[in-house]
Formats: sequence, C-alpha cells, structure tokens
Amino acid sequence: MNGRDYLGEFEHIVVLALLRLEDRAYGVTVRQEIEFRAKREVSIGAVYATLDRLESKGYVKSRRGDPTPERGGRSKRFFRVTAKGVTAVNRTQRALHKMTEGLGLARSYS
Amino acid sequence: MTSRAYLVRPPRLATWLVNLFVSSEEESMVGDLCEEFCHIASKAGVAPARRWYWRQSVKTTGHLFCTAFRAAPWRTAAPIIGGFFVGGFVKGLPGKALSAVTDRYLLFWSSHFQAYMWLLKGMLIEHLILSMLVGCIVAWAAKGREMVATITLALARCALIGAALLWVATHLPIDVGWMLWSLADPFVIVVGGAIVRTRRSAGRIRPLPIELASDHSSDRQPLEL
Repeated sequence: MNGRDYLGEFEHIVVLALLRLEDRAYGVTVRQEIEFRAKREVSIGAVYATLDRLESKGYVKSRRGDPTPERGGRSKRFFRVTAKGVTAVNRTQRALHKMTEGLGLARSYS
Repeated sequence: MTSRAYLVRPPRLATWLVNLFVSSEEESMVGDLCEEFCHIASKAGVAPARRWYWRQSVKTTGHLFCTAFRAAPWRTAAPIIGGFFVGGFVKGLPGKALSAVTDRYLLFWSSHFQAYMWLLKGMLIEHLILSMLVGCIVAWAAKGREMVATITLALARCALIGAALLWVATHLPIDVGWMLWSLADPFVIVVGGAIVRTRRSAGRIRPLPIELASDHSSDRQPLEL
C-alpha cells in the first residue's frame, strides 16, 4: 500500500464536501459546505490550493462553467471526485476508523 | 419600500490585491469571492460583506503566496536568483560611472561642492529607479508569479540590508534617514513587480457591474466601494 494514497486532514474534508455537493461543487459551495458542516472558517485560497493539489494527484477533475455578471464576468470552476479519489477517501476513512476503534472517543465527545 | 437594483462592487483595493497574486487559470477564485460578496451583501448588508471580503482577500493572498513555491519551485526561484545577480550588476553601474567622472575632473568637483552633492542625490534616485527596473525584469521573467518572485527577492534583500545595518549599527553611529533609504530599495522592487503584474492582468480582467437586487433599507444607496 502506498502511503501517498492517503488524504491529508483538509484534503479529506474537501473531498467529502465534493462528494456531498455532487455536480454543484465549485469554490463558493465547497467553502460554504465546509463552513456549515465543519464549523470552520476557511479561505477560498485554501480551498483552491487543496483542490489544485487533489487535481494534480488525480483525485478530482475540474471543468469550466460560463462567466456570469454576478461574478464580474469570471467563469465558475466545477469539481468532481474521480474513482481514484473515492478509493483514497475510503482508504483514509478506514484507516481513521481503525485508529479510533476502541478508544471511546465518541463517548467522550458527546 | 421600493425595489431597486443597486450597483455593488467589492472593495477595489482588495480585488486588486488578490488579482496581483492570482494567475489566469485561477481567475474563477476572484469570481467566487465576487459572488459570495454579493450574496453576503444582499443577506447581511454591505458593511459585513466588505469586512468578509477583506478578510478573505488577505487570507487568500497569503495562501497564494505560500503555495506558489510548492506548485512550481524552480519556475519561481529561477527569476529570483537571476534578479539577484542582475541587481548586483546593474546597481554598480551608476557608481562606477560617477567615480570615473569625479576621478577625471577632481579639481572641478572640489570647487563645485554643491554640484557634486546634487549629483550624489541624483545617483541615489537613480539607484531606486534601477531597483524598480530589476523588479520589472524579475516580474516579467516570472510569468504568472510576478508578485511572489518580487516579494521574495525584496525579502532576501531586506535580510541582507538588515544584516548590513546591524553590522553598521555596532560599529558606527546610526543614521535613521540612511536606514530608511536603504529599505526603500526592496520596496521599489515590489512596486516594479506590481506595475508589470497590473499591466499584464489589465488585458484579461473584464470588470462588469454587479447588480444586486436588495431591499436592505440601511444599504439604500448606489454603492461604489
């Protein structure tokens, strides 16, 4: 098993946000989803830096939308998770689950 | 309550700041900021939206700066190293030229001290202009990473100047004016980078007015931020 196939903490969060948003996933919605669910204020720069990194690893793919006046004439960049990305997120989830199993963390957090 | 469309623009200075660091492939990032600014302005008012926009712009700029090296370390480092050597070569030229003239006409300068001082001050200004030129060259070479390259070069120069000033301060009495003048050098390098970047991005930025249909009574005015 290749150690690089695991996702980092923020990468993990971003990929999960993409999976939740499906075909509505672009910078604004991803940032809002993370803020809403993880209660964590993130900058759009951090989101894009992570998405670019994930794209270079082949875990996500992006495509351009049409420019709109609301966005100052700039286009949206939509993202979707690839099969390789889904495998990586599953592997990371499993590793986290195995590491936390039996620690009783869920109880202590509740 | 009348429903009118209001022209709302995000803070120009913040947008300019982000545009300095964003490459042409990342322009959707600025669009995202713009879109969310409109959304917040229509929901919570313009003042909170402006605060949010500034906060995001500063954080995003920091991120873009830090990730530039990671994304393309050699493409970013090469113009910086080149700029360092070009700077060293170019900045020595006015001094050498002045020395050649003063050595030849030593008698003239000793009897025209005012003119000599004027020439020296002119040379200091010329030094700054050359630094700006170096900034422009580095920015031109670092396509898409103009600000990262020039800021890094300026920081490196700051470190060198700081070390030199520290040495001078321990051996000679401190001249604050001279210290400030020394720090102007890295600053104009960054200014050179900003000039090249602004000129380059002027072609691809299409500023469109953003219409925001809002019924917020507190924000009921045409807005030009």
